[in-house]
Amino acid sequence: MALSSFFGSSRAVFSAAILLRAVFLLYGLWQDANSPMKYTDIDYYVFTDAARFISQGRSPYARDTYRYTPLLAWFIYPTTWPGHWFSFGKVLFAIGDIIAGWMMFHILRTYQHMPPQRALRFASIWLLNPMVATISTRGSSEGLLGVFITALLWAVLARRIKLAGMLLGFAVHFKIYPFIYAASIIWWLDAEDSDNFKKATPTSSDTQFNRAFAFFNSERVILISYSLATFLQLNIVMFFAYGTAFLEHSYFYHLIRIDHRHNFSPYNTLLYLKSSPNISLDSDPIKSFELERLAFLPQLLLSAVFIPLALAKKDLPSTMLAQTFAFVTFNKVCTSQYFLWYMMFLPFYLPDSTLLESPSVGIPALALWLIGQVFWLQQGFQLEFNGNSTFVPGLWVSSILFFLVNCGILGVVIRDIRTRKGITRGTEATKKT
Amino acid sequence: MKQRITYIVKDADDFDPEQLDVKSGSLTLKNVKAAKEHRITFGLSELPRELQRSFQQWHELHIRWASETPYSASPPFTARVSPGLHAFFTPLKDRSEGSLCPLLQEIFGHGLICEDPKDTFIKLPVLSERFSMSAASEYYAYVPNLSNFVSYVQKKLCPPAPSSCKLGAASLSSASYLDIDYDTISHAVIVNAFWSEATWKETISLTKKEETIEVGVLNHESRPDPEDIGFGGFLTVLGNDDEPKPTRFQTATRHYPLVSSPLIYRTRFSHPTGLHPTLILTLPSSHLDAPDPTCKLHTHLTLPSYLFIDKYQFNDPLFLASKNLVSLRSLSGATDLEAPDWVVPQWGSAALFELAVPSFSPNEDEPKPSGDWNVSIPMHLRYLPAQQSSHTSVPVPWPVVFWACRAEEGAKMAVNPFDRIHLGYEGLFGLKTRFMHVPPAQVGNGTGRLVEWIDVPVLDLRKTGWVEAGTVGTVIVAFLGLCWVLFGGLGGSKKGKESEKKTQ
Repeated sequence: MALSSFFGSSRAVFSAAILLRAVFLLYGLWQDANSPMKYTDIDYYVFTDAARFISQGRSPYARDTYRYTPLLAWFIYPTTWPGHWFSFGKVLFAIGDIIAGWMMFHILRTYQHMPPQRALRFASIWLLNPMVATISTRGSSEGLLGVFITALLWAVLARRIKLAGMLLGFAVHFKIYPFIYAASIIWWLDAEDSDNFKKATPTSSDTQFNRAFAFFNSERVILISYSLATFLQLNIVMFFAYGTAFLEHSYFYHLIRIDHRHNFSPYNTLLYLKSSPNISLDSDPIKSFELERLAFLPQLLLSAVFIPLALAKKDLPSTMLAQTFAFVTFNKVCTSQYFLWYMMFLPFYLPDSTLLESPSVGIPALALWLIGQVFWLQQGFQLEFNGNSTFVPGLWVSSILFFLVNCGILGVVIRDIRTRKGITRGTEATKKT
Repeated sequence: MKQRITYIVKDADDFDPEQLDVKSGSLTLKNVKAAKEHRITFGLSELPRELQRSFQQWHELHIRWASETPYSASPPFTARVSPGLHAFFTPLKDRSEGSLCPLLQEIFGHGLICEDPKDTFIKLPVLSERFSMSAASEYYAYVPNLSNFVSYVQKKLCPPAPSSCKLGAASLSSASYLDIDYDTISHAVIVNAFWSEATWKETISLTKKEETIEVGVLNHESRPDPEDIGFGGFLTVLGNDDEPKPTRFQTATRHYPLVSSPLIYRTRFSHPTGLHPTLILTLPSSHLDAPDPTCKLHTHLTLPSYLFIDKYQFNDPLFLASKNLVSLRSLSGATDLEAPDWVVPQWGSAALFELAVPSFSPNEDEPKPSGDWNVSIPMHLRYLPAQQSSHTSVPVPWPVVFWACRAEEGAKMAVNPFDRIHLGYEGLFGLKTRFMHVPPAQVGNGTGRLVEWIDVPVLDLRKTGWVEAGTVGTVIVAFLGLCWVLFGGLGGSKKGKESEKKTQ
């Protein structure tokens, strides 16, 4: 069959992935040159403006809405050179995509023991995904994150702990949210020593102190110290180079922001309601207790504590998917770019998953996930372009429904991982291939 | 106190010196059809103590108020600002702004949103450093009429008798624009009001000995020099002159009339406005040939804080061309691209665009461009506070449109006794610039107002009863459900049902 011979050749799949991005890139150039509607993402103009400020010896934060590490602007410094160099960033992001896909392929081959054809099929969820290719060729930096996070996963699985620590520190510096992976990686790192640990457990000297001491095995200590050192060093360098503007825009902004503009988050309408002035006239003090300020609690408990503790030792890549999914679903701000954050883990989770193996679960799940977005987008369009006040019930109800759909899918994912038995290191997977 | 009253007669044939009756210390106009400018200069010491103290704290303050009712301008009073209240202000070095905001609220209406000039006023960019006449900052508020100002003057400034002061103040209700100027060098406050063409039956008389009142009845005459404007007519200094004295003079002028051109503009928003309204300026294509090759068509927008312009949109030549724009020349004030309206401290922003015009063939035989010429300016709305309704209606004043042309002489313009500056946009041009103003269409927005109203969708508080409990409840249930999936027993079939139920 043509399709199976296509997936039989890694050269064919990677060529197709490169071709897909090249076509999108060229099409984007054509559209930008010929239409007032731009293919290029608005954020790309933010990055390239920031790079231009850097090239003039100024701060990247001179550009409004630049909320990233200065490193991003430095990465795409060549975009300030004349001519076609402007597209350098998009090419870089697209290459990052391909490298991430290549690492996914190898993780699937080496650590999930898949035959090449099957590994290529699942890596294609990322490599041949038009959404992924569009996002990177439009110049959004979310794609670049894929390469760092996949590299982090690969380094951990390959037990290159120092490298993993540095990648983790860098990823948190770059986008903050990857800090949630620290918990699962640290918890998972105990697995290899678990036999020794179990032997030690029944002895008489089993005190709290010894347990705690045993927890800090050398790998964990190395990971923690390397990631903290990398994170702190990067921040110190950036702080001395760009001052408080760096801290303010890269970190504090994300902590204090209340994104009023409608987005997929279930909290969105509540945040608009609560931050809006002059409405607290008739609300009693109990009611005005600001529950929404505690929104970080379920989000962080799930993504950074409960999910890692319950699942990391079973299957690290899928646990990272569940963590990211929980983080995005329970976040106070949620836009479709964030979906890319968990999409990069799908190739590791989907093989042997209920979503794929049981069509009665998988198909409704995908359909509901899409319908939830369509419903929301339709309400958003009514608001944004037709000026209808669809905040309540339209946008609110659709964001709550989308949230419930996501929680349902997360439930399926969690249950799948719970029933696995250490796939990433064990031999369970081999017999299924 | 000094007064200068100027009547501009449009058609010289309409006026006969017999319509003026000069008696000792008074002048009576008998049905003179003219536009009128009334300029009163107060020494600072002539004002109430409270006002004196306020003014003395400032370096300069220039108030420009324009009516939202369309008016036809008469040379030399052709300069325009967007309807509403503008205040251009420079503080004294190292001195606080004092009570400027409370004073503006007392004079023009307590509804004005003005916290502190440092936060509320916006810095004016000055593209031409040499144009040092510009004030440092600007304030704007939508003030549809002068009723509050009139009653302030009547209560706080007019003496109990005679009633002429109160009547004079009341006449401001029909003024087309009002200027108030103070600067620390002249130590004088100049109040200047303009009424468009009307038929005047009134008697002007001296009330105090030390007062001077000069009355001119002038007619705009065809220009001897292309950059000057000329006037002929009669001048009377009350108390000195027994009869109107004929006069004829010419002067360089910054605001040049767009004579005998039917060019006008209309403003509207494309519907539906949504959260991204597009302002559309419509001008007749056939009259858009530049009055002089150096002239470029511009529009100056005054945007209250709930509307903003994303300057980064206007970098792309294709985008600009598709909107019939040449460039965004200047943008100042509240330009945050994300903030909701209630966290924006400034009153708003001001923008200057250069507009594209249709190309005119030098060949006389080729047909002139025809139809409407539409210029679109895409904007964005900020989120407004939740209300007991689904929409909040907000006013947007019409922008002003003018040709900015090169002038041979810049300095001479200030000699013009009718010169009008501090309009918010002259500082964005070089000193040697003259402005030819395009008048707005008399129909205005359809109800005879130079203001567009936009309905902004807001969160409707009548429907939000369930939002808090619903959101919090849903999140808690989902959280607990997921905890149960994570830590609960792994009973085979029961589990499967649970997860399936959730996905549906």
